[in-house]
Amino acid sequence: MSVTPATMAQAARRTDARAAIRAPADPFAMVRRGLVYLLLSIAAFVSVFPFLWMVIGTTNSSADIIRGKASLGGEFFNNAVTFFTQVDALRVFWNSAFIAVVATALTLLISSLAGYGFEMFRSRVRERVFALLLLLLSIPFAALMVPLFVMFSQARLVNTYTAVILPTVASIFIIFYFRQATKAFPTELRDAAKIDGLKEWQIFLFVYMPVMRSTYAAATIIVFMANWNNYLWPLIVLQTAENKTITLIVSALTSAYTPDYGMILFGTVLATLPTLIIFFLLQRRFVEGMLGAVK
Amino acid sequence: MNRIVSRRGRLLGLALASVSFLSVAAASAGDVTVWAWDPNFNGATMKEAASRYTADHPDVNIIVDDSASQDDIRAKLQTQLLAGSTDGLPDIVLIQDDVAQKYLQSFPGAFEPLSDTIDMSVFADYKVAAATLDGKSYSLPFDSGVTGLFYRSDYLEEAGFSAKDLENITWDRLVEIGTEVKAATGHQLLDLDLNDAGLLRMMMQSAGTWYFNEDGSLNIVDNAPLKKALETYAKFYQADLVNPVSGWAEYTGSFTSGNTAVVPVGVWITGTIKANADQSGLWGVAPIPRLDIEGSVNASNQGGSSWYVLASSDNKAEAIDFLKTIWAEDVDFYQQILVDQGAVGSLLAAREGEAYQATDEFFGGAPVWQNFSTWLSQIPAVDYGIFTAEVDAAVQAQLPTIIEGGDIDAALEAINSQAQQQVQ
Amino acid sequence: MADARLARREQITGWAFIAPALVLLGLFMLYPIVWSLWMSFQVGRGMNLSFGGFGNIQRLTQDVVFLRALGNTFTFFIIQVPIMIVLALLFAVALNDSTLRFRGLFRTAIFLPCVTSLIAYSTIFKSMFATDGIINQGLMAVNIIGAPIAWFSDPFWAKVVVILAITWRWTGYNMIFYLAALQNIDRSIYEAARIDGVPAWARFRYLTIPMLKPVILFTTVISTIGTLQLFDEVFNFTAGTGGPADSTLTLSLYIYNLTFKFMPSFGYSATVSWVIVILVAILSFLQFLIARDRRRPS
Repeated sequence: MSVTPATMAQAARRTDARAAIRAPADPFAMVRRGLVYLLLSIAAFVSVFPFLWMVIGTTNSSADIIRGKASLGGEFFNNAVTFFTQVDALRVFWNSAFIAVVATALTLLISSLAGYGFEMFRSRVRERVFALLLLLLSIPFAALMVPLFVMFSQARLVNTYTAVILPTVASIFIIFYFRQATKAFPTELRDAAKIDGLKEWQIFLFVYMPVMRSTYAAATIIVFMANWNNYLWPLIVLQTAENKTITLIVSALTSAYTPDYGMILFGTVLATLPTLIIFFLLQRRFVEGMLGAVK
Repeated sequence: MNRIVSRRGRLLGLALASVSFLSVAAASAGDVTVWAWDPNFNGATMKEAASRYTADHPDVNIIVDDSASQDDIRAKLQTQLLAGSTDGLPDIVLIQDDVAQKYLQSFPGAFEPLSDTIDMSVFADYKVAAATLDGKSYSLPFDSGVTGLFYRSDYLEEAGFSAKDLENITWDRLVEIGTEVKAATGHQLLDLDLNDAGLLRMMMQSAGTWYFNEDGSLNIVDNAPLKKALETYAKFYQADLVNPVSGWAEYTGSFTSGNTAVVPVGVWITGTIKANADQSGLWGVAPIPRLDIEGSVNASNQGGSSWYVLASSDNKAEAIDFLKTIWAEDVDFYQQILVDQGAVGSLLAAREGEAYQATDEFFGGAPVWQNFSTWLSQIPAVDYGIFTAEVDAAVQAQLPTIIEGGDIDAALEAINSQAQQQVQ
Repeated sequence: MADARLARREQITGWAFIAPALVLLGLFMLYPIVWSLWMSFQVGRGMNLSFGGFGNIQRLTQDVVFLRALGNTFTFFIIQVPIMIVLALLFAVALNDSTLRFRGLFRTAIFLPCVTSLIAYSTIFKSMFATDGIINQGLMAVNIIGAPIAWFSDPFWAKVVVILAITWRWTGYNMIFYLAALQNIDRSIYEAARIDGVPAWARFRYLTIPMLKPVILFTTVISTIGTLQLFDEVFNFTAGTGGPADSTLTLSLYIYNLTFKFMPSFGYSATVSWVIVILVAILSFLQFLIARDRRRPS
């Protein structure tokens, strides 16, 4: 059997058809369903509340925020103006976006290749290497910062995007994630593709990557978020204000002797938007992933 | 450490450079870069100084980077000094006085001595002392952390106290006053943060003492001012006069929204208090109380920082000349930053200036700057040593026990043993 | 002969797939790590370092602050990780039901905390748990407490707030991994089980859990590492002190303080870092062992 999107879609339809055969009505189903909604509603409220509070905060003055005012105010425009006059927003957004996008693309490619390689081609030596990587994953970054800085300063790369991006792109965490996810990748697909004469890199590119879409979607969110919010390393390696990321800039605003919280919350909401948008765009992938249907 | 950065490191560096696909231009030579925190205070004063200097020296370009917090600047500075890399370092950096010695002593040669070119006798003694090592002084003293007791005059009035009742008093007397104010107004006396030993250090310095002896050894167990300070701290809690806060936001938020009656703090808080224009006329400033022991005065210091020139700077001459011309000589400059930022500098001559004579309606028409100048001259100089942060942590570890009425001597022993272990 | 050649080809391809990652990791991880291991044998201040043998390890055994940090880190780990994993699993399974309404909304809502930036999140938590903050007001309104709790000034409650905060922030994050993994499970198996009358809890226990095992193992290991390296929350909540009285001081925060706040003793802070590595190694090993044992009986 050769694998094409069409056959996979067929398989998906088959499953849907089976799902349509409903079990006989359960008398407790309603109660259980009600409990699920209750649980999710509470969780959603608790999750959203601080975020909502932050958005409301952008419409209030600093003094009102400190007093704990929790209703909408009329300071939104003022806060925005203060933020944009004090921060070169376009510049710092560009810095953040460039770093996060390039780093995410590279991380997904390099780390998923490795995850695939570790799971599909098992050998004793590679298992040892993998175990070693897991061990390295646990070393706190603070311990590595000084030697890393030495390296980048000798390469004359201090204060560059390169210095921010390069150390993050081979992520043990994401390699580990892809390896675990690959365990669910049906080997029949790979065998079939091999019989069809596909080379290994073609299998990876044309079979593995499309099939693992939901895994890539989840990884994209995770990696983008990590890069967007990355703090300690960019802080150390980026020197001049015009190269700094929005995370660094907004964070420094809070340490003023007289912090303007309305303006700071405006900045944080703004800094949060990109990750949120990425999540909105990709979240449907989690429900539409087709892998399950093929098995 | 340079040993470790050997040829192999350089090879790695080369390999890295060859894959460099993006690099961003750094500041060009001839530019004097300055790192400071807080754009509205340090950043703004430095920019004012820069514009004054470049008006007469158009060939010099001064870049003030105030986009990082103080913690961030410390982390960056320390990483680079540890890495032995001078690449990304600025020409001038702002460092708080009580951590200065740590940098000077653990990174010998990293900072440029300034006392050879700039006459240090024009500055307040205690500021110069904080940056002096082996007879050379390394900083251009900037803002003073001279302390005052900021208070809500309306609350005190309601309890029958006037400005005079706060002159020349002890902390014990303040506890009595606070009790009456609370009875009359329902307001707690002050905000305290168990993660910040600032008030204790302030009390200690008012008696001319710090955590260390002259030879640098720990002075904890037999440190009478420290013991007295801890007892006073406990008294605040036992009299139920404390509004517990945590962190800068809650701390400033509390007193600026009228929760508490007094704020014993460094003069740099003035801007934060005056940011609430609707409270104009409701505030006053008194000298801080003294400890009820021999040698303690009604003046002390909290925070305050100074400018340091990096020895690695390519523009040392320009940097030093800039500091000398504006920061060590321009009296008018100091009047301006006092008015605009509420920054009290350490140049003694500046105090004769016009702005320092002015009264402030926000503080009930009192000559606050003159008062601060007077108190400034009374601050006992102490040697901050190199382990203040470590001992602070040891002190803070005992505070929850102390405020619940724990034995002070036992606490001092515990502080001493933890500090002893940490300072190595 | 042909088999041997095939096997060698497989070997080469295998290495080729992981080579880019290994090169980068060698450069940006292994080298700094070896460097830090070397540093952990150095003693001294700032740049005045000398070889100190096991001096740092000796110092470690007498360091009360280190022991406090170790204790706190373990408290956070033991209490927080199980709560979060179970919650994330429950949410993911609930949200995986295709007949559920408003799924997208719930999913986004529960994920929202982990995109909220650290600054916003710490500002919000600090303000909500302030002495006159909304949490105290709420608890007093419903008479659960009589007087406000000074959350961050009390060693016990400060720990509680940190646990609440990290659970709040990371549950949705873990849920994402489960949701993505649940898509890899064949729905027809569930339907078959349902038609056969297998109750919901049994389907969860005997179908979902075993099939999610690789991902559960993954999230557990990741959460273990995350908690043992816990830094952001405690740093921002306590102005970097880990207070009150070191009650929220974690190993990572202690390392940060040793490196940047205290007299710079890089060798010693490297030694503390290696303690985390060893702890994670032991814990991960145990977690792999448990995961493997369970598989055997079936």
